[in-house]
Amino acid sequence: MHKKAYLFGSVFLILSLIGPAAADVGPTYAVKNAKIVPVIGPPIDKGVLIIRNGLIEAVGLLDKVAIPEDAEVIDADGLIAYPGLISTHTNLFLEVARPATGQGSPEFTAQQALVQDRPAETPELCVFKLIKPSKAAIDSFLKIGVTTVLVAPNRGIIQGQSVLLNLNGEKAEPMVLKNPVALHINFTTARGTYPSSLMGTIAFLRQSFLDAEYYAASQAQYAKILKGMKRPEYDPFLEALVPFVTEKKPVIFQCNNLEDIKRALKIIEEFKLNALLSHANEAWRDAAILKKTPIPLLVTLDFRPPNSSQYVNQGADLRKKAEAEIYPANAANLAKEGIKFALTTFGLNDGAAVLKNIQAAIRAGLPKDEALRALTIQPAQYLGLSQQLGSLEPGKIANVILTKGALFDEKTQVDKVFVDGVLWKF
Amino acid sequence: MNKIVKKLLIRAIGLALVVLPAYTAGGSVLIKNGTILTVTKGVVAKGDLLVINGLIKEIGENIAAPKGIKVIDASGKYVIPGIIDSHTHIALAGTNEGSEAITPEADVGEVVNADDVSILTALSGGVTMAHTMHGSANPIGGPNVVLKMKWGKPSEDLIVHEALKTLKFALGENVKQSSRTITVGGPPPRYPQTRMGTNAIIRREMLKARAYRKEWDRYNKLKAFKTPPKNLLPPRKDLRMEALSDLLEGKMVARCHDYQATEALEFLGLAKEFGFKVQALEHAWEAYKIADELAAAKVGISVFADSWAYKMEAAEGIAYDAGYCAKKGVLVSINSDSAERIRRLFNDASKTMKYGGLTENEALSLITINPAIQLGVEKIVGSLEVGKQGDIAIFNEHPMSAYTRCEMTIIEGDVYFDRAQYLKDREEAAKKAEAPKKGGRS
Amino acid sequence: MIKRLFFICAIIAVAAGLISAQAKPAKVIAIKGAKIIPVVGDDLESGTILIRDGKIDAVGVEVAIPSGAEIVDAKGLCAYPGMIDGYCFLGLQEISGVSATVDNRETGRINPQVRAIEALRYDSMHIPIARSNGITAALVAPAGGLISGQSVLIKLDGWTNREMVMKSPAAMQIEFPGIRGGRGGFGGMGRGAVVTADTTRLIAELKDIFKNARYYQKRKEFAFKNPAFAMPEFQETFEFILPVLRGELPVMISVHSDRDIKAAIQFVKEESLKAVFLGAEQGWKVADDLKKSDIPVIISSLYDMPPVWDDGYDSLFRNPGALNKAGVKIAFSSASASLAKDLPYHAAKAAAFGLDKKEALKAVTIYPAEIFGVDQIMGSLEKGKTANIVLSDGDILETRTNIKKVYIDGLETDMSNRYTELLEKFKKKRG
Repeated sequence: MHKKAYLFGSVFLILSLIGPAAADVGPTYAVKNAKIVPVIGPPIDKGVLIIRNGLIEAVGLLDKVAIPEDAEVIDADGLIAYPGLISTHTNLFLEVARPATGQGSPEFTAQQALVQDRPAETPELCVFKLIKPSKAAIDSFLKIGVTTVLVAPNRGIIQGQSVLLNLNGEKAEPMVLKNPVALHINFTTARGTYPSSLMGTIAFLRQSFLDAEYYAASQAQYAKILKGMKRPEYDPFLEALVPFVTEKKPVIFQCNNLEDIKRALKIIEEFKLNALLSHANEAWRDAAILKKTPIPLLVTLDFRPPNSSQYVNQGADLRKKAEAEIYPANAANLAKEGIKFALTTFGLNDGAAVLKNIQAAIRAGLPKDEALRALTIQPAQYLGLSQQLGSLEPGKIANVILTKGALFDEKTQVDKVFVDGVLWKF
Repeated sequence: MNKIVKKLLIRAIGLALVVLPAYTAGGSVLIKNGTILTVTKGVVAKGDLLVINGLIKEIGENIAAPKGIKVIDASGKYVIPGIIDSHTHIALAGTNEGSEAITPEADVGEVVNADDVSILTALSGGVTMAHTMHGSANPIGGPNVVLKMKWGKPSEDLIVHEALKTLKFALGENVKQSSRTITVGGPPPRYPQTRMGTNAIIRREMLKARAYRKEWDRYNKLKAFKTPPKNLLPPRKDLRMEALSDLLEGKMVARCHDYQATEALEFLGLAKEFGFKVQALEHAWEAYKIADELAAAKVGISVFADSWAYKMEAAEGIAYDAGYCAKKGVLVSINSDSAERIRRLFNDASKTMKYGGLTENEALSLITINPAIQLGVEKIVGSLEVGKQGDIAIFNEHPMSAYTRCEMTIIEGDVYFDRAQYLKDREEAAKKAEAPKKGGRS
Repeated sequence: MIKRLFFICAIIAVAAGLISAQAKPAKVIAIKGAKIIPVVGDDLESGTILIRDGKIDAVGVEVAIPSGAEIVDAKGLCAYPGMIDGYCFLGLQEISGVSATVDNRETGRINPQVRAIEALRYDSMHIPIARSNGITAALVAPAGGLISGQSVLIKLDGWTNREMVMKSPAAMQIEFPGIRGGRGGFGGMGRGAVVTADTTRLIAELKDIFKNARYYQKRKEFAFKNPAFAMPEFQETFEFILPVLRGELPVMISVHSDRDIKAAIQFVKEESLKAVFLGAEQGWKVADDLKKSDIPVIISSLYDMPPVWDDGYDSLFRNPGALNKAGVKIAFSSASASLAKDLPYHAAKAAAFGLDKKEALKAVTIYPAEIFGVDQIMGSLEKGKTANIVLSDGDILETRTNIKKVYIDGLETDMSNRYTELLEKFKKKRG
């Protein structure tokens, strides 16, 4: 028996030594007496939530869940617990890009080459390399309950690949939840080079995907034969695009107006891409099409109408109405049509502005619980991370917010935030 | 079946077809007591025009109004086919891919912007259809698109699919960037910078397209063998070359922006060399110098009335251009190329009566049936004939009078511009603006 | 000796007679049988206009025609006074995109010293085109900056620029920016600009210049009277602005928004200027203020887009009618060189949108004459005025109307122009 214990102990020791180095995730918490809104399942009027090792260990009624010995007890009487909110489209921690011109600048440096030159688009770019975390930015988002953000690249047409971060500190690596997440494409134009017009951009995108297919086919062919065939020329741009065309890795198209949505859907159909649409603040105008061809929508809370919008160019009164009423009702209209979507903070870099717009969307008719789902479980599902995020369920990552007052109400304050199970110090 | 019952049944079905809401697009309307200028089938001095479900059903006198139909009183007014603008740049999110000289892969049909308020401007001038195009930055710009001015409808509903597919070419000063200053030590200017280079680059791309086509033909032939060769890979699909191939195969026609006579003749030569069709020359300010050649080659022109002398190549443009060429048998349309001039195409057309001696109907043709023929839509629009689409404009004076104004614009039987309604709306808005000032709570 | 003198005098007399015969019009011309639209006074269904020594001697149904008169059979034609363009660039622009041929915009903002007449190409290809469409006089103006320079009123006939002068200078051109209708240029992308608040600042700047000009003048006068005191240093701007301040030279102020028009009216009053407004696209909003101010308005080209959406799609077209109904004196202009011939069609367009047709015709004839102070000489077919007469086959405001003859100062003008020359050349070439 002695031998067995010794064996067991040494194995345990060895395992604990060779296992992944566990960062110190702080105390175990027992959040007591809170109202709990798990999102999946009905709310619990008075419950307990146990956080251990960065994960939710247990959630339930006060008398149903035992409070562990090692737990720090937090009396959350009068507070409400929600899952941390997820924004699946931001440019957080990135340097502001110069705005792309709509039509292209007149100073062209492009030399006419016999073979079409490709502009410096960067599908291979992982935006994680560029992020510069800042506490101020994190505080601003945590203060309104956003614990998880997708950071997307912000330059170019084929912009690069995004990263999903948990806002748990100022070091980049520990924040990473998923890297890369998706390839981002924006309906914009290049400056001073091809394509300098939107129609050029569309042709460029189509040609790029065609070339990626061709490249993959040539590569596959060559791999089969090897002898007797000239090797296809290496192309890093196409190399980076191939997975999105052959393996159907996710692509996110930023649609800045109702036409971009249709343009994106055409390209997605042509190349059978696995795609999501972001921005989409005019999506309600395409409701019929979106009902016919459902696609994940990452709808921004930035209500500023696109400059091309007819609501903006027919006098000052209509413009005011557009900004105050029509565009804030986007999400409400989608919900009315039964169209699913996630809400994002894209274009809003300040937590207070985000909250104001969520409230405006709700005033415009978006049901509160729809808003909550659009910021929790829906984005988690779109990201394929519904096992880890988006609700208060045992086993999920412990991103928990405690609010004084119902979430999104006028006077509500976020009282406490747990990110990866650690209580955040503002 | 009893004859009478049969008759009644037919009547009932007929009535039902008229009265029931249409499942096809297009509205129904009866225009009464107007002077109807059909353009192709003469003038009905005091006539009625019936549109059912978007198509012209009947033109004549004293047409009985089907039950429930919208009736428009056109007493004292002139009823004409909706005006067609054969060359504009409205309703697009971008018109030039100027970063390179040859860009036929860039298709304006992909960037239609149905939110452009220029559509409303066009409607206020009686325009129901516009051929909206690439600009003139490039020797080969790209495909254009024909749109109905259906304000408020989704962009895909504006596109006229019956129209010929057109490819925009351009020659002359805009292409060779004459107005740009070249800075010493700055970026090198884009080739071509001369008219010689312009033609050379077009020829080069046509030759490339031919070679591209040959590659694909070879591949298709090999693929069709009973035992195709091993390791057969198709050639790379190149969207730019595809567009030019379509032109060479006759699936598209060329519309070429040109000013000078030599330019025009040489472009026609290029077309002959490569076997593509030139449907019309745009602007063509020197067309009068080569009217015979154009008529013989069956190449139309789409021109201004008299907006000239803004560039060197427009220095010999004369107001007689349109009228003279029309008299010489060239198919002439008058276009606007401008979100401002699109409001007064009828004024521009009327100028050919003075500069060219055209009759009223000939002048009116320049903005109706002629552009329809140029765009390949003469079977469905361009004149008021039974069976054509109900695209109609109503004017308070003869459209060729300088004193006229457009009162109403109708597309496929639906009213898209109504001046009377506009005036009512203005009055109400003015009243509303006044109201808070006149006492009450501030 | 006397015989020789007599002989020399005779030769001189004959020679003078010969020379003047080339220069002078036919002594008497009778235009018979036309429908006469004198603009001032009633129309005559059929009448005669008698021209003597370049002036209108008689207009009437029964007019005694002296023997030796040249008879012009105008049966079936209409006779109108020659039209007057209230603002254009004729002679200052040939090809607008080629700057070497454009002389109407000087560099800098304050240029009261530049004079349009000194750059006016009397042989511009645009002048005969406009003239052959019935335009016989025009105000040619510089543009740009705040004070653009001095405009000139010309008749569209003459073998030198000075021969064309009717009034030089005609006005001092001043421009207030702010809302402007975009001209919807090629490419269909014209848009109205946003209202700017510049005009208040510019008026302050002008008042400052005026104030200093007056000080300058005072010092000059003082120094003149008191030779012991030095003259102030020469100041070009003040020198050339002083005639305006003395009331000798009117100002033409290009002004657009309702707010700016009101400010401009105030400015004109305070500075006691003789003024004309150009443009006034939102004038209909402040028509009563304009009427009270007695400042006439030259309507700028109607080929512009409405400056502000809220004004309505037809605001520029409605404007002249609204001003006219409110009692404001209006005149039309082409604001162009290459499209100066379109002057009558701007008037017709305004008539299509509410301006009385007769008023529209007056606004291209007698009203501009009154505004420029030459109504004693032109603007209508009345005895004593110069014989600027247009014979047409219909209403001269109609696009389809053909102009058959144009008389300026009683001289029949050449109806050929660049258009006809090129047409004839290429018509002939191939037979």
